Amino acid sequence: MTSTANNGPTMADLRAEMLRGAQSVATLPAPSKERGITSDLSVDEGLLLHAAGWEPLDLVVGVGVVSIPYGVWQWGQGEISVASDAHNGAVRLASQQLRGECDKVQGYGVVGVRVEVEVRQHHVDVELVGTAVRPINGAAHKGNAFLSDLSARDFTLLKTAGWMPVGLAFGASFVYAPRRSAGTAMRQSTQNVELTNFTEAMYSARESAMERMQRSALDDKGEGVVNVRVTEGPMYFAKHAVGFTAWGTTVKLVADQHQYVRPDLILPLNDAVVSFEAQSLRGD
Amino acid sequence: MTDSTAPPAAAPPGDLPEAALRRLGSGAFSSGLTVPDFAACLQLGLQPVGLVQGFCVMQWGWYGSGSGFSRGMNPYNMGGQAQGAYAENYRCPHGYVSAEHRMWGQNFEQSWVQQAWHSGYDSSYARMLEEATAMGAHGVIGVIDRVTHIADSQTSEFHFLGTAVTVDGGPAPAGGVPWTTYLAGQRLTKSIEAGFMPVAVVASMASVRVWAYCMTEYLMEGGRTWGGPSGAHEVEQVTKAHMAVRQIARKHVRAQLGADSLQGAQIQIVKRELSAGDEVIDCTLRGNRMRRFKDFDVVPAPKPTVRLT
Repeated sequence: MTSTANNGPTMADLRAEMLRGAQSVATLPAPSKERGITSDLSVDEGLLLHAAGWEPLDLVVGVGVVSIPYGVWQWGQGEISVASDAHNGAVRLASQQLRGECDKVQGYGVVGVRVEVEVRQHHVDVELVGTAVRPINGAAHKGNAFLSDLSARDFTLLKTAGWMPVGLAFGASFVYAPRRSAGTAMRQSTQNVELTNFTEAMYSARESAMERMQRSALDDKGEGVVNVRVTEGPMYFAKHAVGFTAWGTTVKLVADQHQYVRPDLILPLNDAVVSFEAQSLRGD
Repeated sequence: MTDSTAPPAAAPPGDLPEAALRRLGSGAFSSGLTVPDFAACLQLGLQPVGLVQGFCVMQWGWYGSGSGFSRGMNPYNMGGQAQGAYAENYRCPHGYVSAEHRMWGQNFEQSWVQQAWHSGYDSSYARMLEEATAMGAHGVIGVIDRVTHIADSQTSEFHFLGTAVTVDGGPAPAGGVPWTTYLAGQRLTKSIEAGFMPVAVVASMASVRVWAYCMTEYLMEGGRTWGGPSGAHEVEQVTKAHMAVRQIARKHVRAQLGADSLQGAQIQIVKRELSAGDEVIDCTLRGNRMRRFKDFDVVPAPKPTVRLT
Protein backbone atom coordinates (compact mmCIF):
# COMPACT_ATOMS: atom_id res chain seq x y z
CA MET A 1 0.00 0.00 0.00
CA THR A 2 1.46 3.38 -0.91
CA SER A 3 0.34 6.94 -0.75
CA THR A 4 -0.21 8.38 -4.17
CA ALA A 5 -0.39 11.95 -2.94
CA ASN A 6 1.58 14.28 -5.17
CA ASN A 7 1.06 17.36 -3.06
CA GLY A 8 3.64 16.55 -0.38
CA PRO A 9 6.04 19.17 0.97
CA THR A 10 8.63 20.46 -1.47
CA MET A 11 12.33 20.61 -0.63
CA ALA A 12 11.98 24.16 0.71
CA ASP A 13 9.02 23.06 2.87
CA LEU A 14 11.01 20.20 4.34
CA ARG A 15 13.81 22.55 5.34
CA ALA A 16 11.30 24.90 6.93
CA GLU A 17 9.75 21.99 8.82
CA MET A 18 13.19 20.88 10.00
CA LEU A 19 13.89 24.40 11.25
CA ARG A 20 10.58 24.44 13.13
CA GLY A 21 11.49 21.12 14.68
CA ALA A 22 14.96 22.33 15.68
CA GLN A 23 13.41 25.42 17.29
CA SER A 24 11.09 23.21 19.32
CA VAL A 25 14.05 21.50 21.00
CA ALA A 26 16.06 24.70 21.35
CA THR A 27 13.92 25.83 24.25
CA LEU A 28 12.85 24.07 27.40
CA PRO A 29 9.40 22.51 27.11
CA ALA A 30 6.65 24.09 29.15
CA PRO A 31 5.75 22.07 32.24
CA SER A 32 3.00 19.65 31.37
CA LYS A 33 1.05 16.92 33.09
CA GLU A 34 0.33 15.29 29.77
CA ARG A 35 1.34 11.66 29.62
CA GLY A 36 3.61 10.76 26.72
CA ILE A 37 2.80 7.73 24.62
CA THR A 38 5.02 4.73 24.01
CA SER A 39 4.87 2.57 20.93
CA ASP A 40 6.89 -0.06 19.11
CA LEU A 41 5.41 0.86 15.75
CA SER A 42 7.78 1.96 13.00
CA VAL A 43 7.51 5.49 11.59
CA ASP A 44 5.62 4.16 8.56
CA GLU A 45 3.21 2.17 10.68
CA GLY A 46 2.55 5.14 12.97
CA LEU A 47 1.76 7.41 10.02
CA LEU A 48 -0.43 4.82 8.35
CA LEU A 49 -2.36 4.27 11.55
CA HIS A 50 -2.94 8.03 11.83
CA ALA A 51 -4.11 8.14 8.24
CA ALA A 52 -6.66 5.45 9.10
CA GLY A 53 -7.90 7.55 12.03
CA TRP A 54 -6.21 5.62 14.84
CA GLU A 55 -3.43 6.52 17.25
CA PRO A 56 -1.03 4.56 19.48
CA LEU A 57 -1.40 4.77 23.25
CA ASP A 58 1.09 2.56 25.02
CA LEU A 59 3.47 -0.34 24.65
CA VAL A 60 1.75 -3.30 26.34
CA VAL A 61 2.96 -6.76 27.30
CA GLY A 62 1.55 -10.08 28.42
CA VAL A 63 3.40 -13.11 29.75
CA GLY A 64 2.26 -16.61 30.65
CA VAL A 65 4.37 -19.37 32.20
CA VAL A 66 2.66 -22.74 32.70
CA SER A 67 4.26 -25.92 34.02
CA ILE A 68 4.40 -29.36 32.41
CA PRO A 69 4.70 -32.18 34.95
CA TYR A 70 7.51 -34.72 34.99
CA GLY A 71 6.94 -37.85 32.90
CA VAL A 72 4.73 -36.24 30.31
CA TRP A 73 7.30 -36.64 27.53
CA GLN A 74 8.14 -40.28 28.22
CA TRP A 75 7.26 -42.85 25.57
CA GLY A 76 3.58 -43.33 25.06
CA GLN A 77 0.93 -43.31 22.40
CA GLY A 78 -1.42 -40.74 20.99
CA GLU A 79 -1.64 -37.11 21.99
CA ILE A 80 0.30 -35.57 24.88
CA SER A 81 -2.73 -33.71 26.14
CA VAL A 82 -1.08 -32.18 29.22
CA ALA A 83 1.49 -30.44 27.01
CA SER A 84 -1.25 -29.18 24.70
CA ASP A 85 -3.19 -27.90 27.73
CA ALA A 86 -0.06 -26.17 29.08
CA HIS A 87 0.54 -24.45 25.76
CA ASN A 88 -3.03 -23.25 25.45
CA GLY A 89 -3.08 -22.19 29.12
CA ALA A 90 0.09 -20.11 28.73
CA VAL A 91 -1.30 -18.38 25.64
CA ARG A 92 -4.60 -17.69 27.39
CA LEU A 93 -2.82 -16.25 30.41
CA ALA A 94 -0.57 -14.01 28.30
CA SER A 95 -3.58 -12.82 26.27
CA GLN A 96 -5.46 -11.94 29.47
CA GLN A 97 -2.48 -9.94 30.74
CA LEU A 98 -2.20 -8.12 27.41
CA ARG A 99 -5.90 -7.27 27.42
CA GLY A 100 -5.59 -6.10 31.04
CA GLU A 101 -2.74 -3.73 30.15
CA CYS A 102 -4.71 -2.43 27.17
CA ASP A 103 -7.73 -1.78 29.41
CA LYS A 104 -5.59 0.17 31.87
CA VAL A 105 -4.78 2.75 29.20
CA GLN A 106 -8.34 2.61 27.85
CA GLY A 107 -7.23 1.23 24.52
CA TYR A 108 -9.62 -0.28 22.01
CA GLY A 109 -7.18 -3.00 21.07
CA VAL A 110 -3.59 -4.03 20.48
CA VAL A 111 -1.95 -4.16 17.03
CA GLY A 112 1.34 -5.62 15.82
CA VAL A 113 1.51 -8.19 18.64
CA ARG A 114 4.85 -9.99 18.58
CA VAL A 115 4.39 -13.60 19.65
CA GLU A 116 7.21 -15.56 21.32
CA VAL A 117 6.47 -19.12 22.39
CA GLU A 118 9.08 -21.36 24.00
CA VAL A 119 8.21 -24.96 24.82
CA ARG A 120 10.59 -26.39 27.41
CA GLN A 121 10.60 -29.80 29.02
CA HIS A 122 8.83 -28.63 32.17
CA HIS A 123 7.20 -25.36 31.23
CA VAL A 124 5.81 -23.32 28.36
CA ASP A 125 6.68 -19.61 28.22
CA VAL A 126 4.62 -17.22 26.11
CA GLU A 127 5.40 -13.53 25.61
CA LEU A 128 3.16 -11.08 23.76
CA VAL A 129 4.25 -7.49 23.06
CA GLY A 130 2.27 -4.92 21.07
CA THR A 131 0.96 -1.38 20.94
CA ALA A 132 -2.42 -0.43 22.40
CA VAL A 133 -4.38 1.81 20.03
CA ARG A 134 -7.62 3.79 19.88
CA PRO A 135 -9.44 5.92 17.33
CA ILE A 136 -8.08 9.49 17.30
CA ASN A 137 -9.95 11.45 19.99
CA GLY A 138 -11.92 8.29 20.70
CA ALA A 139 -13.98 8.07 23.87
CA ALA A 140 -12.70 6.14 26.87
CA HIS A 141 -13.02 2.45 26.29
CA LYS A 142 -13.02 -0.36 28.80
CA GLY A 143 -13.02 -4.08 28.28
CA ASN A 144 -13.21 -6.42 25.33
CA ALA A 145 -10.07 -5.08 23.67
CA PHE A 146 -9.12 -6.76 20.41
CA LEU A 147 -5.71 -8.38 19.95
CA SER A 148 -4.01 -8.74 16.61
CA ASP A 149 -0.60 -9.81 15.39
CA LEU A 150 -1.23 -7.99 12.13
CA SER A 151 1.01 -5.04 11.30
CA ALA A 152 -0.51 -1.56 11.25
CA ARG A 153 -0.52 -1.83 7.46
CA ASP A 154 -2.51 -5.06 7.46
CA PHE A 155 -4.81 -3.69 10.18
CA THR A 156 -5.58 -0.66 7.98
CA LEU A 157 -6.22 -2.82 4.94
CA LEU A 158 -8.47 -5.16 6.93
CA LYS A 159 -10.48 -2.22 8.24
CA THR A 160 -10.81 -0.78 4.75
CA ALA A 161 -12.33 -4.08 3.66
CA GLY A 162 -14.96 -3.84 6.43
CA TRP A 163 -13.41 -6.33 8.86
CA MET A 164 -11.97 -5.93 12.36
CA PRO A 165 -9.62 -8.11 14.38
CA VAL A 166 -11.08 -9.72 17.50
CA GLY A 167 -8.32 -11.66 19.20
CA LEU A 168 -5.45 -14.06 18.81
CA ALA A 169 -6.46 -17.60 17.88
CA PHE A 170 -4.14 -20.36 19.04
CA GLY A 171 -4.09 -24.12 18.83
CA ALA A 172 -1.46 -26.69 19.71
CA SER A 173 -1.12 -30.41 19.63
CA PHE A 174 1.75 -32.58 20.83
CA VAL A 175 1.93 -36.26 19.91
CA TYR A 176 4.22 -39.22 20.39
CA ALA A 177 5.79 -40.48 17.19
CA PRO A 178 4.05 -43.86 16.79
CA ARG A 179 5.97 -47.10 17.15
CA ARG A 180 5.79 -50.17 14.98
CA SER A 181 6.01 -53.68 16.24
CA ALA A 182 9.39 -55.36 15.85
CA GLY A 183 7.94 -57.69 13.24
CA THR A 184 6.47 -54.86 11.18
CA ALA A 185 9.69 -52.87 11.37
CA MET A 186 11.71 -55.91 10.21
CA ARG A 187 9.27 -56.63 7.41
CA GLN A 188 9.25 -53.06 6.17
CA SER A 189 13.00 -52.53 6.46
CA THR A 190 13.58 -53.49 2.82
CA GLN A 191 10.36 -52.00 1.42
CA ASN A 192 9.46 -48.59 0.04
CA VAL A 193 6.11 -48.24 1.80
CA GLU A 194 3.98 -45.62 3.42
CA LEU A 195 4.16 -45.75 7.19
CA THR A 196 0.46 -45.37 7.66
CA ASN A 197 0.55 -45.10 11.44
CA PHE A 198 3.01 -42.17 11.11
CA THR A 199 0.90 -40.51 8.43
CA GLU A 200 -2.25 -40.86 10.47
CA ALA A 201 -0.67 -39.60 13.69
CA MET A 202 0.89 -36.53 12.09
CA TYR A 203 -2.17 -35.81 10.00
CA SER A 204 -4.43 -36.06 13.03
CA ALA A 205 -2.15 -33.87 15.19
CA ARG A 206 -2.01 -31.11 12.58
CA GLU A 207 -5.76 -31.18 12.22
CA SER A 208 -6.19 -31.08 16.01
CA ALA A 209 -3.97 -27.99 16.32
CA MET A 210 -5.86 -26.20 13.57
CA GLU A 211 -9.23 -27.30 14.89
CA ARG A 212 -8.35 -25.88 18.33
CA MET A 213 -7.25 -22.66 16.71
CA GLN A 214 -10.55 -22.36 14.87
CA ARG A 215 -12.47 -23.23 18.01
CA SER A 216 -10.70 -20.46 19.92
CA ALA A 217 -11.68 -18.08 17.09
CA LEU A 218 -15.32 -19.11 17.47
CA ASP A 219 -15.07 -18.69 21.27
CA ASP A 220 -13.99 -15.11 20.58
CA LYS A 221 -17.10 -14.71 18.39
CA GLY A 222 -14.97 -14.32 15.28
CA GLU A 223 -15.83 -15.46 11.79
CA GLY A 224 -12.41 -16.58 10.62
CA VAL A 225 -8.67 -16.47 11.14
CA VAL A 226 -6.20 -14.61 8.93
CA ASN A 227 -2.43 -14.64 8.71
CA VAL A 228 -2.24 -18.20 10.06
CA ARG A 229 1.24 -19.43 10.91
CA VAL A 230 2.04 -23.08 11.51
CA THR A 231 5.08 -24.51 13.25
CA GLU A 232 5.96 -28.13 13.63
CA GLY A 233 8.87 -30.31 14.58
CA PRO A 234 10.29 -32.67 17.17
CA MET A 235 10.93 -31.41 20.68
CA TYR A 236 14.65 -30.84 21.16
CA PHE A 237 14.51 -32.51 24.56
CA ALA A 238 12.32 -35.46 23.42
CA LYS A 239 12.90 -36.44 19.81
CA HIS A 240 10.10 -39.00 19.91
CA ALA A 241 7.53 -36.25 20.49
CA VAL A 242 6.37 -33.87 17.78
CA GLY A 243 4.68 -30.52 18.39
CA PHE A 244 2.32 -28.66 16.07
CA THR A 245 1.12 -25.13 16.71
CA ALA A 246 -1.09 -22.85 14.65
CA TRP A 247 -1.97 -19.26 15.34
CA GLY A 248 -3.35 -16.18 13.63
CA THR A 249 -5.68 -13.22 14.11
CA THR A 250 -9.41 -13.84 14.53
CA VAL A 251 -11.47 -11.43 12.43
CA LYS A 252 -15.13 -10.59 12.01
CA LEU A 253 -17.07 -8.58 9.49
CA VAL A 254 -18.25 -5.28 10.98
CA ALA A 255 -19.50 -3.67 7.77
CA ASP A 256 -22.78 -4.73 6.21
CA GLN A 257 -20.81 -6.65 3.66
CA HIS A 258 -17.24 -7.14 2.52
CA GLN A 259 -15.86 -3.97 0.94
CA TYR A 260 -13.89 -4.83 -2.16
CA VAL A 261 -10.49 -3.20 -2.30
CA ARG A 262 -9.64 -2.29 -5.86
CA PRO A 263 -5.90 -1.71 -6.16
CA ASP A 264 -4.41 0.49 -8.89
CA LEU A 265 -1.85 -1.14 -11.10
CA ILE A 266 1.59 0.45 -11.12
CA LEU A 267 4.36 -0.26 -13.60
CA PRO A 268 7.62 1.24 -12.29
CA LEU A 269 9.77 2.56 -15.14
CA ASN A 270 12.91 3.21 -13.16
CA ASP A 271 16.07 1.11 -13.42
CA ALA A 272 17.59 -0.41 -10.32
CA VAL A 273 19.95 2.05 -8.62
CA VAL A 274 23.40 0.79 -7.75
CA SER A 275 24.33 2.40 -4.48
CA PHE A 276 27.35 2.29 -2.21
CA GLU A 277 26.39 1.14 1.28
CA ALA A 278 28.52 3.30 3.55
CA GLN A 279 26.90 1.53 6.50
CA SER A 280 28.94 -1.56 5.65
CA LEU A 281 32.00 0.28 6.97
CA ARG A 282 30.55 0.00 10.46
CA GLY A 283 30.72 -3.77 10.40
CA ASP A 284 26.98 -4.26 10.85
CA MET B 1 20.57 10.92 30.95
CA THR B 2 18.87 11.29 27.62
CA ASP B 3 16.93 14.41 28.49
CA SER B 4 18.35 16.88 25.99
CA THR B 5 17.34 19.75 28.21
CA ALA B 6 19.84 18.74 30.87
CA PRO B 7 23.55 18.22 30.20
CA PRO B 8 24.65 14.62 30.74
CA ALA B 9 26.64 14.35 33.91
CA ALA B 10 27.96 10.80 33.76
CA ALA B 11 31.29 11.44 31.95
CA PRO B 12 33.86 13.96 33.12
CA PRO B 13 34.33 16.75 30.58
CA GLY B 14 37.33 16.75 28.32
CA ASP B 15 38.24 13.08 28.60
CA LEU B 16 38.34 12.38 24.86
CA PRO B 17 41.42 10.57 23.54
CA GLU B 18 44.01 12.73 21.76
CA ALA B 19 43.36 10.88 18.48
CA ALA B 20 39.68 11.80 18.71
CA LEU B 21 40.50 15.48 19.13
CA ARG B 22 42.87 15.34 16.12
CA ARG B 23 40.21 13.58 14.02
CA LEU B 24 37.46 16.01 14.98
CA GLY B 25 39.66 18.97 14.08
CA SER B 26 40.92 17.58 10.76
CA GLY B 27 38.57 19.63 8.57
CA ALA B 28 37.11 16.70 6.59
CA PHE B 29 33.72 15.38 7.56
CA SER B 30 32.92 11.72 8.02
CA SER B 31 29.55 10.03 8.32
CA GLY B 32 28.07 6.64 8.97
CA LEU B 33 25.11 7.34 6.69
CA THR B 34 24.32 5.34 3.58
CA VAL B 35 24.28 7.35 0.37
CA PRO B 36 20.44 7.48 0.27
CA ASP B 37 20.40 8.55 3.94
CA PHE B 38 23.10 11.14 3.21
CA ALA B 39 21.02 12.55 0.34
CA ALA B 40 17.88 12.66 2.50
CA CYS B 41 19.85 14.40 5.25
CA LEU B 42 20.97 17.17 2.86
CA GLN B 43 17.43 17.59 1.60
CA LEU B 44 16.28 18.27 5.15
CA GLY B 45 18.91 20.97 5.50
CA LEU B 46 21.13 18.87 7.75
CA GLN B 47 24.88 19.11 7.18
CA PRO B 48 26.96 16.15 8.43
CA VAL B 49 29.94 17.36 10.40
CA GLY B 50 31.46 14.13 11.61
CA LEU B 51 31.14 10.55 12.78
CA VAL B 52 30.97 10.65 16.57
CA GLN B 53 31.28 7.85 19.06
CA GLY B 54 31.51 7.09 22.75
CA PHE B 55 32.74 4.07 24.67
CA CYS B 56 32.69 2.79 28.21
CA VAL B 57 33.98 -0.54 29.50
CA MET B 58 32.33 -1.72 32.71
CA GLN B 59 33.21 -4.54 35.02
CA TRP B 60 30.32 -6.40 36.61
CA GLY B 61 31.01 -6.81 40.29
CA TRP B 62 30.18 -9.68 42.60
CA TYR B 63 26.67 -9.57 43.94
CA GLY B 64 26.55 -13.00 45.51
CA SER B 65 27.02 -14.35 48.98
CA GLY B 66 29.10 -12.09 51.18
CA SER B 67 28.47 -8.96 49.14
CA GLY B 68 26.37 -6.12 50.43
CA PHE B 69 23.64 -7.25 48.07
CA SER B 70 23.11 -10.87 49.07
CA ARG B 71 19.70 -11.89 50.21
CA GLY B 72 21.03 -13.52 53.34
CA MET B 73 18.65 -15.64 55.37
CA ASN B 74 15.98 -13.03 55.84
CA PRO B 75 13.28 -12.76 53.20
CA TYR B 76 12.81 -9.12 54.02
CA ASN B 77 16.47 -8.14 53.77
CA MET B 78 16.68 -6.08 50.59
CA GLY B 79 20.35 -5.16 50.77
CA GLY B 80 21.30 -2.64 48.10
CA GLN B 81 17.80 -2.18 46.77
CA ALA B 82 16.53 1.31 46.01
CA GLN B 83 13.53 2.61 47.91
CA GLY B 84 10.22 1.88 46.27
CA ALA B 85 11.75 -0.86 44.15
CA TYR B 86 9.66 -3.89 43.18
CA ALA B 87 9.67 -6.80 45.62
CA GLU B 88 7.23 -9.63 46.23
CA ASN B 89 7.41 -12.42 48.80
CA TYR B 90 6.06 -15.96 48.59
CA ARG B 91 5.52 -18.24 51.58
CA CYS B 92 5.56 -22.04 51.59
CA PRO B 93 2.07 -23.43 52.34
CA HIS B 94 3.42 -26.74 53.74
CA GLY B 95 5.07 -25.81 57.01
CA TYR B 96 8.42 -27.30 57.98
CA VAL B 97 9.36 -30.20 55.72
CA SER B 98 13.16 -30.32 55.73
CA ALA B 99 16.16 -28.02 55.89
CA GLU B 100 16.40 -28.08 52.09
CA HIS B 101 12.76 -27.18 51.61
CA ARG B 102 12.35 -23.65 50.22
CA MET B 103 10.16 -22.08 52.87
CA TRP B 104 9.94 -18.72 51.14
CA GLY B 105 10.67 -17.08 47.85
CA GLN B 106 11.14 -13.64 46.50
CA ASN B 107 10.99 -11.62 43.29
CA PHE B 108 12.97 -8.44 43.58
CA GLU B 109 14.28 -5.66 41.42
CA GLN B 110 18.08 -5.51 41.31
CA SER B 111 18.50 -1.74 41.46
CA TRP B 112 22.28 -1.96 41.71
CA VAL B 113 22.52 -3.92 38.45
CA GLN B 114 20.33 -1.33 36.76
CA GLN B 115 22.47 1.48 38.13
CA ALA B 116 25.65 -0.21 36.85
CA TRP B 117 24.12 -0.67 33.39
CA HIS B 118 22.99 2.95 33.31
CA SER B 119 26.40 4.10 34.44
CA GLY B 120 28.01 2.41 31.41
CA TYR B 121 25.26 3.45 29.01
CA ASP B 122 25.14 7.05 30.19
CA SER B 123 28.93 7.46 30.16
CA SER B 124 29.32 6.24 26.58
CA TYR B 125 26.35 8.36 25.50
CA ALA B 126 27.80 11.42 27.20
CA ARG B 127 31.14 10.83 25.44
CA MET B 128 29.45 10.68 22.06
CA LEU B 129 27.65 13.94 22.88
CA GLU B 130 30.96 15.44 23.97
CA GLU B 131 32.46 14.71 20.54
CA ALA B 132 29.36 16.15 18.85
CA THR B 133 29.43 19.28 21.01
CA ALA B 134 33.15 19.75 20.27
CA MET B 135 32.23 19.88 16.57
CA GLY B 136 29.45 22.41 17.13
CA ALA B 137 26.76 19.90 16.13
CA HIS B 138 23.07 20.53 16.70
CA GLY B 139 22.12 16.86 16.63
CA VAL B 140 23.28 13.30 16.08
CA ILE B 141 21.36 11.09 13.65
CA GLY B 142 21.52 7.38 12.75
CA VAL B 143 22.64 6.48 16.28
CA ILE B 144 23.65 2.87 16.89
CA ASP B 145 24.26 1.56 20.38
CA ARG B 146 25.60 -1.83 21.36
CA VAL B 147 26.65 -3.66 24.48
CA THR B 148 29.27 -6.36 23.87
CA HIS B 149 31.23 -8.65 26.14
CA ILE B 150 34.95 -8.22 25.87
CA ALA B 151 37.15 -11.27 25.67
CA ASP B 152 36.67 -13.86 28.38
CA SER B 153 36.07 -11.55 31.28
CA GLN B 154 33.33 -10.06 33.43
CA THR B 155 33.43 -6.89 31.38
CA SER B 156 31.06 -5.29 28.90
CA GLU B 157 31.69 -2.47 26.50
CA PHE B 158 29.00 0.12 25.81
CA HIS B 159 29.41 1.66 22.38
CA PHE B 160 27.59 4.58 20.76
CA LEU B 161 28.06 5.65 17.16
CA GLY B 162 26.27 8.30 15.12
CA THR B 163 26.60 11.11 12.61
CA ALA B 164 26.76 14.63 14.04
CA VAL B 165 24.85 17.21 12.00
CA THR B 166 24.07 20.89 12.01
CA VAL B 167 20.75 22.38 10.93
CA ASP B 168 21.13 25.04 8.24
CA GLY B 169 20.27 28.33 9.96
CA GLY B 170 19.03 26.41 12.98
CA PRO B 171 19.29 27.46 16.63
CA ALA B 172 21.62 25.84 19.13
CA PRO B 173 19.93 23.02 21.05
CA ALA B 174 18.68 23.63 24.57
CA GLY B 175 21.54 23.68 27.09
CA GLY B 176 24.01 23.22 24.23
CA VAL B 177 23.32 19.46 24.29
CA PRO B 178 22.70 18.03 20.80
CA TRP B 179 19.48 16.13 20.14
CA THR B 180 19.89 12.50 19.12
CA THR B 181 17.92 9.84 17.27
CA TYR B 182 18.24 6.29 15.98
CA LEU B 183 16.50 7.51 12.82
CA ALA B 184 18.14 8.76 9.63
CA GLY B 185 17.27 9.24 5.98
CA GLN B 186 13.71 8.78 4.81
CA ARG B 187 12.46 7.62 8.24
CA LEU B 188 13.71 10.84 9.84
CA THR B 189 12.28 12.88 6.95
CA LYS B 190 8.87 11.25 7.37
CA SER B 191 8.89 11.97 11.11
CA ILE B 192 9.72 15.64 10.53
CA GLU B 193 7.05 15.86 7.85
CA ALA B 194 4.55 14.40 10.31
CA GLY B 195 5.50 16.96 12.94
CA PHE B 196 7.72 14.89 15.27
CA MET B 197 11.17 16.22 16.15
CA PRO B 198 13.70 13.86 17.77
CA VAL B 199 14.73 14.86 21.27
CA ALA B 200 16.97 12.00 22.36
CA VAL B 201 17.49 8.29 22.23
CA VAL B 202 16.17 6.81 25.45
CA ALA B 203 16.86 3.47 27.02
CA SER B 204 16.32 1.70 30.27
CA MET B 205 17.37 -1.61 31.72
CA ALA B 206 15.44 -3.48 34.40
CA SER B 207 16.67 -6.53 36.23
CA VAL B 208 14.56 -8.85 38.39
CA ARG B 209 15.89 -11.79 40.40
CA VAL B 210 13.62 -14.73 41.11
CA TRP B 211 14.36 -16.75 44.25
CA ALA B 212 11.98 -19.63 43.83
CA TYR B 213 9.95 -20.90 46.77
CA CYS B 214 8.96 -24.55 46.99
CA MET B 215 5.91 -24.40 44.72
CA THR B 216 7.78 -22.59 41.97
CA GLU B 217 10.70 -25.00 42.27
CA TYR B 218 8.43 -28.05 42.02
CA LEU B 219 6.54 -26.74 39.04
CA MET B 220 9.57 -25.54 37.11
CA GLU B 221 11.36 -28.86 37.48
CA GLY B 222 8.33 -30.88 36.49
CA GLY B 223 6.97 -31.65 39.95
CA ARG B 224 3.32 -32.04 40.66
CA THR B 225 1.53 -29.94 43.21
CA TRP B 226 1.13 -31.51 46.61
CA GLY B 227 -2.31 -32.96 46.95
CA GLY B 228 -3.48 -31.07 43.90
CA PRO B 229 -4.58 -32.45 40.57
CA SER B 230 -1.88 -33.43 38.11
CA GLY B 231 -1.62 -31.45 34.92
CA ALA B 232 -0.47 -28.06 33.75
CA HIS B 233 -0.38 -25.19 36.25
CA GLU B 234 0.39 -21.51 36.02
CA VAL B 235 3.76 -20.70 37.60
CA GLU B 236 2.59 -17.52 39.27
CA GLN B 237 5.91 -16.35 40.71
CA VAL B 238 7.77 -16.57 37.40
CA THR B 239 4.88 -15.09 35.41
CA LYS B 240 4.74 -12.10 37.76
CA ALA B 241 8.52 -11.60 37.59
CA HIS B 242 8.40 -11.55 33.79
CA MET B 243 5.58 -9.02 33.79
CA ALA B 244 7.29 -6.89 36.43
CA VAL B 245 10.63 -6.63 34.64
CA ARG B 246 8.97 -5.36 31.47
CA GLN B 247 6.75 -2.93 33.38
CA ILE B 248 9.74 -1.55 35.32
CA ALA B 249 11.70 -0.92 32.12
CA ARG B 250 8.66 0.84 30.66
CA LYS B 251 8.18 2.92 33.81
CA HIS B 252 11.82 4.05 33.77
CA VAL B 253 11.65 5.02 30.11
CA ARG B 254 8.39 6.83 30.70
CA ALA B 255 10.07 8.84 33.46
CA GLN B 256 12.50 10.19 30.85
CA LEU B 257 9.79 11.20 28.40
CA GLY B 258 7.84 14.00 30.06
CA ALA B 259 5.05 14.90 27.67
CA ASP B 260 7.03 13.60 24.69
CA SER B 261 6.41 10.24 23.07
CA LEU B 262 8.51 7.13 22.62
CA GLN B 263 8.47 5.77 19.09
CA GLY B 264 9.99 2.65 17.53
CA ALA B 265 10.43 1.02 20.94
CA GLN B 266 12.30 -2.28 21.13
CA ILE B 267 12.20 -4.70 24.04
CA GLN B 268 15.00 -7.22 24.56
CA ILE B 269 14.92 -9.93 27.20
CA VAL B 270 17.91 -11.84 28.54
CA LYS B 271 17.07 -14.71 30.88
CA ARG B 272 19.62 -16.60 32.93
CA GLU B 273 18.33 -19.73 34.62
CA LEU B 274 20.30 -20.64 37.73
CA SER B 275 18.34 -23.64 39.00
CA ALA B 276 14.73 -24.79 38.92
CA GLY B 277 12.73 -21.57 39.16
CA ASP B 278 15.71 -19.45 40.19
CA GLU B 279 16.51 -17.00 37.46
CA VAL B 280 17.61 -13.49 36.59
CA ILE B 281 15.58 -11.64 33.98
CA ASP B 282 17.03 -8.53 32.36
CA CYS B 283 14.88 -6.34 30.12
CA THR B 284 16.21 -3.54 27.96
CA LEU B 285 13.81 -1.07 26.37
CA ARG B 286 15.02 1.56 23.94
CA GLY B 287 13.50 3.92 21.41
CA ASN B 288 13.29 7.47 20.09
CA ARG B 289 11.96 10.26 22.29
CA MET B 290 10.05 12.53 19.92
CA ARG B 291 8.44 15.93 20.45
CA ARG B 292 5.43 17.10 18.51
CA PHE B 293 6.14 20.57 17.10
CA LYS B 294 3.01 21.04 15.02
CA ASP B 295 -0.45 19.61 14.78
CA PHE B 296 -0.52 16.36 12.97
CA ASP B 297 -1.04 16.74 9.24
CA VAL B 298 -3.11 13.75 8.33
CA VAL B 299 -1.43 12.02 5.42
CA PRO B 300 -3.73 11.26 2.50
CA ALA B 301 -5.71 8.06 2.90
CA PRO B 302 -3.51 5.23 1.63
CA LYS B 303 -4.41 3.76 -1.72
CA PRO B 304 -3.74 0.09 -2.44
CA THR B 305 -1.57 -0.58 -5.45
CA VAL B 306 -0.14 -3.61 -7.23
CA ARG B 307 3.30 -3.34 -8.80
CA LEU B 308 3.71 -5.03 -12.15
CA THR B 309 7.29 -6.17 -11.57
